[in-house]
Amino acid sequence: MIVRTPPPKKRRSEATESPNSDGRFIIFEDLPEPQPEPEPSHQHSDQMLCTYQCRQLVKADFLDALSSAEKQSQDYKSKVETMNDDLHRSEAEKMKFRDQLLYAEQELAAAKGREQALQDQLLKEIHESQERLRKQIHIHSELEVKFRKEIDLRKNAESLLSAAEQKASLLEGKLSHVSESIEREKNRLQKELTLLKEESKHSMSRISADLEMMECKASNSEKEAAVLKEQLENLQTKLNECLHEKNEVEKKLSTSTYQEFSSDDSILVKHLREELRNYESEVHEARKLKASHEDVELLREKLLEEKGRRERAEAEALKLLEAQINGKKLEDELSSWKSTLKEIPGVTSAADIPLKFEALQKEVLEGMMKMGEVTARLKQVEVALDVAENARQNVETKAALTNEKVELLKLELKRTELMLSSTTEERDRLKIIIDELKQQKNVEAGSAMTDGKVKELEASLSMKEDLIKKLESSILEQKDVNARQHNEMKLLNERLSNESRRIKSLEREDDRLRSEIAILESKLGHGDFSSASTKVLRMVNSLAVDSDAKKTIEALQNELQQTKDKLQAIEELKKQSGDAGTLVDSYISGKVVQLKEQIATLEKREERYKAVFADRISVFRRACCELFGYKIVMDDHQRSDGIPVTRFTLQSIYAQSDDEKLQFEYESGNTKILGNNYTQQSDISHQVEIFIRKLNSIPAFTANLTVESFNKRTLS
Amino acid sequence: MASKTATKDIITLRGSTAIVSEFFGYAANSILYNRGVYPEESFARVKKYGLPLLLSQDEGVKTFIANLNTQLSEWLEAGKLQRIVLVIMTKATNEVLERWNFSIETDKEVVEKGVSREKSDKEIMREIQAIMRQIASSITYLPCLDEPCIFDVLAYTDMDVAVPFTWTESDPKLIANPQMVKLHSFDTKIHKVDTLVSYKNDEWDEQ
Repeated sequence: MIVRTPPPKKRRSEATESPNSDGRFIIFEDLPEPQPEPEPSHQHSDQMLCTYQCRQLVKADFLDALSSAEKQSQDYKSKVETMNDDLHRSEAEKMKFRDQLLYAEQELAAAKGREQALQDQLLKEIHESQERLRKQIHIHSELEVKFRKEIDLRKNAESLLSAAEQKASLLEGKLSHVSESIEREKNRLQKELTLLKEESKHSMSRISADLEMMECKASNSEKEAAVLKEQLENLQTKLNECLHEKNEVEKKLSTSTYQEFSSDDSILVKHLREELRNYESEVHEARKLKASHEDVELLREKLLEEKGRRERAEAEALKLLEAQINGKKLEDELSSWKSTLKEIPGVTSAADIPLKFEALQKEVLEGMMKMGEVTARLKQVEVALDVAENARQNVETKAALTNEKVELLKLELKRTELMLSSTTEERDRLKIIIDELKQQKNVEAGSAMTDGKVKELEASLSMKEDLIKKLESSILEQKDVNARQHNEMKLLNERLSNESRRIKSLEREDDRLRSEIAILESKLGHGDFSSASTKVLRMVNSLAVDSDAKKTIEALQNELQQTKDKLQAIEELKKQSGDAGTLVDSYISGKVVQLKEQIATLEKREERYKAVFADRISVFRRACCELFGYKIVMDDHQRSDGIPVTRFTLQSIYAQSDDEKLQFEYESGNTKILGNNYTQQSDISHQVEIFIRKLNSIPAFTANLTVESFNKRTLS
Repeated sequence: MASKTATKDIITLRGSTAIVSEFFGYAANSILYNRGVYPEESFARVKKYGLPLLLSQDEGVKTFIANLNTQLSEWLEAGKLQRIVLVIMTKATNEVLERWNFSIETDKEVVEKGVSREKSDKEIMREIQAIMRQIASSITYLPCLDEPCIFDVLAYTDMDVAVPFTWTESDPKLIANPQMVKLHSFDTKIHKVDTLVSYKNDEWDEQ
């Protein structure tokens, strides 16, 4: 180790202390002259010796002092050299420290730049997060609007639901009523079924017998009509021939001379007049034939009506069969219901079924609602879980990112702090060295320079320290700001998650409502409707019916036209027969005789037919009366609008007075009952209401009335 | 430059009824032509709603639809008509193959108070035109009607409607498990008409 301060010199002893002990070279001769003492001369030789010895001593001392001075100078030289070396070394170290300082400054600047960049990045991120937040807030506001709309929709749906529930409750009440009414109607229907069965059997047998009779009559009348037609045609041809011959005779007569007129002419004229009368009578008979032909046609129409009735009866029989089948089905259903009644616990009668049904429905509905609620809650929880996991993952990533950033910043801070500490340590060391150098005060130029530089370095270091402190404070502030922003972001994320959950629940409700709407639309499209508020109507005269009616109308119109043509022809014949009558040939008279014979036979036949018809009609009437218990009187009337109708008056054989008569009006296949005093009685009107108005069955009404009248008669 | 703002026309209950019943007449004819219920030669071409439409010349169909429209107009003016359904059935078995459903929503305030509404006639015509186009294009997805068919019209009315003597109550003639296609709708602001066709699944499609 280089000793900086030379060790203190050892002082010689006091005894050997020489006057040049302080280092001055004092020539002995220069020594102050001693004070002459008043001593004797003998001391003069001693004095000469003493001076020589003193001089020798002084020389020795001087030499010693020289050597010591030389040694000291050498020491001082070596010390100066060492000091110079130290100076050089300190300068080198100073340069090093300066370089290190510069490096530290550069690193500080770099760290500042990085901090600035980080701050900028943070600011950017903050701006971006703010923008995202603003967007999310905007989305949130939009979602709130949607949410309100969905709430309104939901309220509407709830109101619809409540209305539907009310309707359902009403329907259930109606169901119960309907079930009761169904039971009542079942019993009534069963009774009616049995009655209908019996009536149908009777009516079927009656109608079949009537049909056969009418068919026979119709066939007979058709045959007669054909025969009469042929006869008519023959008569017409004969008439035509007669007329033709008459014309020829007239011509012949006109060509013959007027002179041949004699008294025979008057006879001839009389004959002709008689024959005219005969012709007129024949024409009259022809008219009667035509009337009978018309009667035949009327019979034909009646046949058709009977056929229609037969078809209706067959249709009613089919309906009966269907009613029987329905009755069997109802019975089967009843039995199945009864068996289910027995199986269902807590149900003793049919009235308990709707209550039990309602209770079960309510339970099912409650269960379904609970299930729905539970599933909704499950889904909400799942959604919340998913959202929470996503949020957690996001937060974790963000936290990891921020942690990484913080660690990076911390590392940088540590680095800068280390740099700072190292620079401060170096600075302290430099300060100590500088202080030591200052204390010696030998190297003025270099020490003054180094002092200045050290002061500059110290000043710059202090500035850097201040900057570093400011940076640290700003970093702390940034950290606080970051922490606050992180908290805000967390809060916003939580809000986001809540909103997203709400959105998902709203979306689920939206889907549910849409599915309900789709179901309702499908029901609408399917054609379902509420029978309480809607009824389905269709036109009676559909196109098929119209076409059939048109065809029948056209056929009837054609027949009308044909009959009109025939009538015109017959009227023309009548005119022609009226115009003719002047001269008759014997051939014509023979023909007239033949025609008369034919007419006589036709008349006889007609009378026979009338008698037979009257007999048959009376037999038929009596049979009807005895079989059905009613005397039927038929007569034709004309209504106020000019339409001819047939009126039937029925009187029961069990009637207790002549006022107990039923009146029916028949028009083109439709029979309707007419009101009178008898039908306005309470029990009769009730029966009319049930059998005729509701069940549309006059035979049932008359049969019921017959039974009741019979019971009254027998009881009375 | 001419103004492009849409001018609104005043529409009364009677006017709206006329529009709806006229629409139904043309729609029914279009359906009968496109579905081949009646032969092509029995139809004549006319211009309506800016489109060439076909009207049946069969006297029976004409009178049927005319009588129908008279009654439908009466019910529409009273606000009692809920739906009109044109049903196409097989002639042999009366099996229902297609149901053309026209649902009607009536503004009750107009019926009760007799107020009028405003809407552009052109807008209504445009909406009806869209429906007519859809009816014409329905042959692309509706199954072919191979058998001879007939049609009938059902009216869904309120319960308090008096049934005229030329009408009778009927079953709704539903189709089991139908396919449904919803068409466009038109709105006169007094009557809103939604169109929907439901048809029986074709056996080939089911396979």
